[in-house]
Amino acid sequence: MNKTLLLLLFFLGSFAAKENQFIARQGQISFFSYTSVENIEAKNNQVLSFLDIDKKEIAISMLMRAFVFKKDLMYEHFNESYIESDIFPKASFLGKIIDFNPLEEEQTKMVFGKLTIHGISKEVEIKSTIKNTNGNYSISGDFEVMVKDFDIKIPPVLASNIAKSISIKFNFKYQPYED
Amino acid sequence: MKTKIYKKLMIGLCFLSTSLNAQDLLDKLNAEFPDKAVYEIATFKTTRIALGQSVETRKKGALEITLYNRYWDTPNPESQRFLADKVSTRFGLDYAITNNFTFGAGYTTFDKITDGYVKYRLLKQLKNSKKPSFSITLFQGISHRKLNDIPNSIYDPTTSSDKYSFTSQVLIAHKFNTNLSLQIAPTFIHRSSNVVNEDPNNHFAIGFGGRHKIGGHTSIVSEYYYVANPLKSIETYNVFMVGINWEVSDLMLQFHITNARNYAEDTFITQTVDNFNFKNPNLHFGVNATFILHTNKNKLK
Repeated sequence: MNKTLLLLLFFLGSFAAKENQFIARQGQISFFSYTSVENIEAKNNQVLSFLDIDKKEIAISMLMRAFVFKKDLMYEHFNESYIESDIFPKASFLGKIIDFNPLEEEQTKMVFGKLTIHGISKEVEIKSTIKNTNGNYSISGDFEVMVKDFDIKIPPVLASNIAKSISIKFNFKYQPYED
Repeated sequence: MKTKIYKKLMIGLCFLSTSLNAQDLLDKLNAEFPDKAVYEIATFKTTRIALGQSVETRKKGALEITLYNRYWDTPNPESQRFLADKVSTRFGLDYAITNNFTFGAGYTTFDKITDGYVKYRLLKQLKNSKKPSFSITLFQGISHRKLNDIPNSIYDPTTSSDKYSFTSQVLIAHKFNTNLSLQIAPTFIHRSSNVVNEDPNNHFAIGFGGRHKIGGHTSIVSEYYYVANPLKSIETYNVFMVGINWEVSDLMLQFHITNARNYAEDTFITQTVDNFNFKNPNLHFGVNATFILHTNKNKLK
């Protein structure tokens, strides 16, 4: 009987581990391309993200079609001609937060992981600010990616319209995750 | 005995829960995406395939400034210029009032036809839908011609009010994959005046169009119009076009060869007197330039 109790505890323990998972359903990611010819800006307000504070893992996934552009034509070009969202509908990130202390109120940590855009994965490190306000986590930061790293083809006539390096900003607010 | 089964069940549950935890975090996250209907975009790149209309309409507030040119040579032997003896130009403006409703107007220099249209996007093709899904757009066009002195005109030269023609089309398109889109367009054309009684006032035609993407910014397009009851007083041919669409940021360029000389839908569908071949003056080389201006910009909240 004692053994059964132990197993029950173990089972409950593994079940409780789920309470260390947090989800963000309306995460925000925006990107900017600044050139002397034209500025391109887009925002996605429907980014999904998991934060596992036990394993110190973070997962992010988003639909490319959910980006909103200032000009509607840019939306079409982005999806049709550059990011090819028919073939690669999602971009994702899976990484680990280094030296993450779940109890600290505010901390700036490095996140190492794999960023996948346009079907191409790259190892990246991103400096992120992680906040804990009464058990509610939020993560924000910004970083740069090179367009050529992700095999996104830009025709020579448009080379001056699109920056070689795109700056990306993110902001996630997490809630406890329940299955 | 009972406790043994209980134990086994417990162990089984433990394994199940731990294996769930070990599941790739990303796969689990991807399962969390809400099940929302997604529509196909860019069945065609432009609101015209080249000659006729496509199912596409622009998004709210988009103003299209268009300049269409078509060049051809005269058949006389003194013709010196390569495809540039004659030119016909259409100046046009198109404005999208809503995402689904567009109107536009244009004027053509060569045949002096003023044309206008309204276009309403009725249905959008669903992406990843199990049932067959199509894009359907309704088109209504009107055209008026100014010339009184065209030889062999099929319009009554004595009145001015009867020089109108009306074109109604149901544009039905399907995007088969990223690269291939096809369109079929049942067309009804009404012409108010007739000089020759044997000519029908109402024409039925059907348009076929398609595009195949050959790169991120370029696609091959083609169009053909079949007229069920053509004019009887003059010999007319069905219209054919093949060309290339090229988009450069806000500018769309369409290069094509065709036997159509006119731009107004009713005129080129029913009154094309040249057959499609490479003899002068049958071969027409066309360049459509469309510049898109966004008068309404989305706010990024």
